[in-house]
Amino acid sequence: MNVLSVRGLTHVYGQGTSSEAVALNNCSFDIEKGELVGIIGHTGSGKSTLIQHFNGLLKPTSGQILLNGKDINESKKSSVESRFKVGLCFQYPEYQLFEETVGRDIAFGPKNMKLDEEEIKKRVLKCIEYVGLDESYLEKSPFDLSGGEKRRVAIAGVMAMEPEILVLDEPTAGLDPQGRDTVFELIRQYREKTGSTVIIVSHSMEDVARLATKALVMNKGEVAMFGTIDEVYSKADELLTMGLNVPQITRIFMELKKEGLPINGNIYTVEQGVNEIIRLKKEGYTL
Amino acid sequence: MIKDITIGQYYKADSVLHKCDPRTKLILTIAFIVVIFLCKNFFSLGLMAALTVVSMLISKVPVKMFLKSMKPIIPLVLLTAILNVFYTTGGEVLLSIWKITIRDKAIFTAIFIAIRIFCLIIISSLLTYTTTPTMLTDGIEKLLKPLDFILKPFNFRVHTLAMMMTLALRFIPTLIEEIDKIMNAQKARGADLESGGIIERAKALIPIIIPLFVSSFRRAYELAFAMDCRCYTGGDGRTRMKRMKFSLCDLFVFLSFIIIFAGIVFLNIKFDAVI
Amino acid sequence: MTEEFIKFENVSFRYENAEDEPELPLALKNINLTVNKGELVAVLGHNGSGKSTLAKLTNAILVPESGKVSVMGMDTANEDLKYEIRRKVGMVFQNPDNQIVATIVEDDVAFGPENLGVEPDEIRIRVDESLKAVEMYEMRQAEPHNLSGGQKQRVAIAGILAMQTDGIVFDEPTAMLDPRGRQAVMDTILKINKEQGKTVMFITHFMDEAVLADRVIVVNNGEIMTDGTPQEVFSDIGRLKKVGLDVPQARELQYRLKENGIDLNGNILFEDECVKAIKELFQKKVL
Repeated sequence: MNVLSVRGLTHVYGQGTSSEAVALNNCSFDIEKGELVGIIGHTGSGKSTLIQHFNGLLKPTSGQILLNGKDINESKKSSVESRFKVGLCFQYPEYQLFEETVGRDIAFGPKNMKLDEEEIKKRVLKCIEYVGLDESYLEKSPFDLSGGEKRRVAIAGVMAMEPEILVLDEPTAGLDPQGRDTVFELIRQYREKTGSTVIIVSHSMEDVARLATKALVMNKGEVAMFGTIDEVYSKADELLTMGLNVPQITRIFMELKKEGLPINGNIYTVEQGVNEIIRLKKEGYTL
Repeated sequence: MIKDITIGQYYKADSVLHKCDPRTKLILTIAFIVVIFLCKNFFSLGLMAALTVVSMLISKVPVKMFLKSMKPIIPLVLLTAILNVFYTTGGEVLLSIWKITIRDKAIFTAIFIAIRIFCLIIISSLLTYTTTPTMLTDGIEKLLKPLDFILKPFNFRVHTLAMMMTLALRFIPTLIEEIDKIMNAQKARGADLESGGIIERAKALIPIIIPLFVSSFRRAYELAFAMDCRCYTGGDGRTRMKRMKFSLCDLFVFLSFIIIFAGIVFLNIKFDAVI
Repeated sequence: MTEEFIKFENVSFRYENAEDEPELPLALKNINLTVNKGELVAVLGHNGSGKSTLAKLTNAILVPESGKVSVMGMDTANEDLKYEIRRKVGMVFQNPDNQIVATIVEDDVAFGPENLGVEPDEIRIRVDESLKAVEMYEMRQAEPHNLSGGQKQRVAIAGILAMQTDGIVFDEPTAMLDPRGRQAVMDTILKINKEQGKTVMFITHFMDEAVLADRVIVVNNGEIMTDGTPQEVFSDIGRLKKVGLDVPQARELQYRLKENGIDLNGNILFEDECVKAIKELFQKKVL
């Protein structure tokens, strides 16, 4: 079942002015419930503009966004509701923290949803756990935390709205490898526990390969590719021409293929690479 | 979007006004403001308006840019004009309905003020369109330099003021962008910024203002480090890449303006005042 | 002949604790380190490892609690030498926005030399040369807020180049950039070292950047964990992973193959080395 459908979405900035710019051009795709979609594209490809349509922050110049089959821009009410159904977490979300305590900051979203105190409390507790921090954090000031912790609290603040779709724009930007792995692991677990749909915007083809079930490639405001990781990464040549960095391991095996090695399928994780070499070795292949 | 604000922006072009020394332009702009308030009749104001239009044309900055900067002021001008129509006394009564009387002097005043405001906006926009912010602040610094001797006992320099202006101009677009981002982030968490009474609205700003403050302080702190690393120690001993020099351009522009200003004073005396 | 440029002798450093709070632990412990003229050094470490503190000690932004840091023999603790030291060691920071002072690119580049009291004509020459070196000359009249992160960062680099320092320390110059920006900035950093012969020390948590250096220093827990060529440092990948750092995928492939009893020749870091080694692996049988 499709939880989110984008139909002919076009967005033009500054329409009718001299600085008119087409940010999105006739984008259409469907996202099924429970999937983890990685949106890839370099800066200026329209990724950010695209995700801001999902929760009605931006209005389409033309086209539709269907959430469970219903147009979110149908009425003012449906547009406001979409804010809570699609939880959007922006890049560097720690800069949006403002409350005196972590607990109150996480409660900001649920409070805006006009939930009762009891429910809010329950959600705050659940979400601090989702992001791998314990209850003792709830009374701390968010400004006293480390960079990685702040990031996780900010993500918890979006999770607390219990959105059907969680959208994260570059959730690991600026984090070190350890911080990045932690955040990805938390997102993976969150999806497992809640069964929600997750959309992650990323520059890193490596990360998307490791995490996502599907990849959507944006290029010059258009959907260039959309499919399973295997389908998308098999077109590594095309990805390279779009200025995207395919994983080092993929490039190595592309080169080996060119050199005549009978590589099966596409390699985009080290794991696959190891298995492929072992297989060739077992078969006693020689050049 | 807030990003579209054009006031205070530099427009690159090759014109006499662009070539002028910022000090010339600053002095003339101030002189212009003084003179336009001296104008008492339509002859002198007309000459002032003509000077404005000619300056605008020789600046090679598209007229569209000026219209854009005037647009937000139009309601204000209309309001002042209307208020003037009702509150000015004296002159002949043109029209009288119920309790409202409209007099000829009121109409004159309204038109007069409208023209005056538009001229002021055009001339001040012209200054920023034709002068880069750096040149502008450098110009202000040079012009106000003599004040240093008054400020010195207070441990303050004109240079500090100029530096503050430069940094403010530099960071305004950055902060506007930042406000945009924070607003979107809080809206995504369901923050309602558009409805409710004044108190609710003011409260709704807290989630925006606090992150903005936090980030501005961080920026200021980092910027101070960066400036220190580039050996910034204040105005003493600093040189400038772009030297300010008065040229023939300046002389020409200066003289033309002075002659016109003299003409205005003459017209003011020669004809009767309308307001 | 090697000439000492920056020297750390038994350096320890601790950040000041807030009032009525316990003393903070040492951020750096007993660091001994010499960076020679002309070297290209990468300092690798996770967030909070002390790597940024190390950078800030090099040009007297911070001074050691104990021990001595000297730049070309000048003690950074000597307040009178502060600006003399900063004429030798320039610094580029993480956030490109917060180090650009002027509203026009070329005016910003001129800021440093202006502070040094350089003659106007000479400043013009330096500004033009510096902007050309970072490939931003065409954009010299642009306003900083209209530039991309990578472009702003290159302007910041030009600002230091125009001061004609002998060395530049980069404090996580690419952490906030997209892949294209990162690429451009890294290319610039390498060029500054290789073509202009400037001593370069850059802090990073990206291993793919660290491998480009001549020497890699890994900092963990305020101490220097390893110091050597990229080949040496990346040979012990188990240890690097333990301190939360990544290793190149090519290197990891080699490591994982070895666990499976397949040996690839050499210390592999780059794609071409890996491709060559795998080819050799399958050619060996024939010989």
